[in-house]
Amino acid sequence: MSMEYNPFLPRPAIVNAVRDESLETKTLKLSLVKWRANFLPGQFVQLLLPGVGEAPFCITSSPSDSKHIELTIMRRGLVTNAAHYMRPGDAVGIRGPFGRPFPVENFKGRDLLLVATGIGIAALRSLILYIIENRKDFGDTTLLYGARFVEDLVYRDELRGWAEKINVIVTLSKPSERWNGLKGRVTDHLDAINLGKNSLAVICGSPAVMVSVAQSLIGKGLDPKDVYLSMERHMKCGIGKCARCMIPGGFLVCKDGPVFSASEISLEEVGE
Amino acid sequence: MAKLSWQEILGLIQELRKRGFQVVGPSSEGGVVKLVPLEDETKLETDYVRTLNSPKDFLLPDKERLFRYKSTATITSYGLKIRFPTVEGPCPITIVPEYSPPIGKLAFFGIHPCMANSIKYLDKVMLSDPADPYYKARRDGLFIAVLECAEGDEYCLCKSVGSDKVPKGYADLSIRKEGDDFIVKASSPMGSSLLMEESVEEIEEPSPKMKEEYVIDATDEKTIETKDPTTLLEGCTLCSSCTVVCPTCYCSDIQDRFSLMDPSNVERVRMRMSCQRRSYSSIAGNVLFLKTKNDRFKWRMKHKFPFSEKMYGMSGCVGCGNCIAFCPSRIDFRSFLGRRVA
Repeated sequence: MSMEYNPFLPRPAIVNAVRDESLETKTLKLSLVKWRANFLPGQFVQLLLPGVGEAPFCITSSPSDSKHIELTIMRRGLVTNAAHYMRPGDAVGIRGPFGRPFPVENFKGRDLLLVATGIGIAALRSLILYIIENRKDFGDTTLLYGARFVEDLVYRDELRGWAEKINVIVTLSKPSERWNGLKGRVTDHLDAINLGKNSLAVICGSPAVMVSVAQSLIGKGLDPKDVYLSMERHMKCGIGKCARCMIPGGFLVCKDGPVFSASEISLEEVGE
Repeated sequence: MAKLSWQEILGLIQELRKRGFQVVGPSSEGGVVKLVPLEDETKLETDYVRTLNSPKDFLLPDKERLFRYKSTATITSYGLKIRFPTVEGPCPITIVPEYSPPIGKLAFFGIHPCMANSIKYLDKVMLSDPADPYYKARRDGLFIAVLECAEGDEYCLCKSVGSDKVPKGYADLSIRKEGDDFIVKASSPMGSSLLMEESVEEIEEPSPKMKEEYVIDATDEKTIETKDPTTLLEGCTLCSSCTVVCPTCYCSDIQDRFSLMDPSNVERVRMRMSCQRRSYSSIAGNVLFLKTKNDRFKWRMKHKFPFSEKMYGMSGCVGCGNCIAFCPSRIDFRSFLGRRVA
């Protein structure tokens, strides 16, 4: 067998730092050992925990640093639970980056509305950092972020820093009595946001939320091709060979996505 | 073109083996015809309609090891303990890729045109950019001798899906049975060198006769979605036999496995997965996309017809009828997607 590129082989990385983000989420900062990840916001990698398994995660760090990547991981299954036991110095494997990123070149000069719910903000953090680093290239930017409780908010410490550069609106659907901010779901606060002809929306969250937000934004006059969704499936191979991440319409999330515009996919079927 | 006797056909297989091929052909075993590595060429079966397995089982095995690595897992008195390898620790990850090269190059001898079409479909999936290196290693230098199919049985539908002809480049030899003799045509340089003939001929083959003919027309996604298969699927037990015997079902799962006797040696395996199973569409947080058997049946139909047409430009169904013939309750998708015409 020749030594050609084998996309199934992971490359080594070392856990550099572990940050607690919320009750259920941690961010792992990984330094890549003798290789660089050239990626754009929206792409994902496959994280291999030796002896446990592999799972796909969105890259949440800024693309300007190609020697490190950060992954924000919520405790849900086998791999994500094990990832919460990682300590600095542990060795892991990384495959990727895979997938079609956000078309950031087309975003330049546009007013952006970023809508995220729950852990969905992880898929947008790379884009937010990219926008903040190249602030002059982008128009008016608003992040509308919904979660259930204060304890569920991911990147709580960073949100203040982001709020100096972009508009940040946080809403909680099940807040405690001490919460002074906005209450309700993200869909309740879409009316308060001014959408112009130059506007463009990026949504990430659970499938049902993404679809209802996308539909109400389109109802407010946004062109479907200006509404971007970051889809989620359990990608196994990452290169379109296992067909596990296929979504209605015959798209592979790993190859054709994870970023889709609402004009490409059928919203009713994806939301099921 | 040459007229060969049974003995001379067996001579071809011996010649292929001499040239380093592992010859796989249909053979009758315990009442069913299966594609097996032909160690004894006299066991070759030429009078059959369908095989239980398909070339997929050799090109894309049910289970294959992608690579191995060492982890620091140990068994302790309270169970399995996994310490992650560290940089300075005794056990950094070393990844050993494992390509299981076939015992020689593969040769399929005596498969039907529908199976040749299924190899074309697998090629489209696996060799599209980026190519799958494991599949490619087995696929390179593949030899195909197609045995013409005279008449299908009541489950065949290759004519209805347009895979009754061998696609260009997917036959090195084409064999037609005439009485006790065989008419053999070479359609590639490799085939003609085997036949000791100079010329390469275009294959003209008659389409197989069908016992029942169907028009499969309701194959766009919206139509499949709006149809209700509840009565059709009454007998469905979600055994996923339809996807196992299908020559083009390629969905797979990737797992890291180790033995409890020796948990530090981990292997990454790729295993066949079926859309009929629950775990196919489940993602983190207990979200399940294909909940009922109706959903899963429709998903299989969508993947075979509209999605394959869109992604690879050819139907994912090659009309072999295996999913109907080997279904324990004979669930017939032909009447779901089309209508019987003859």
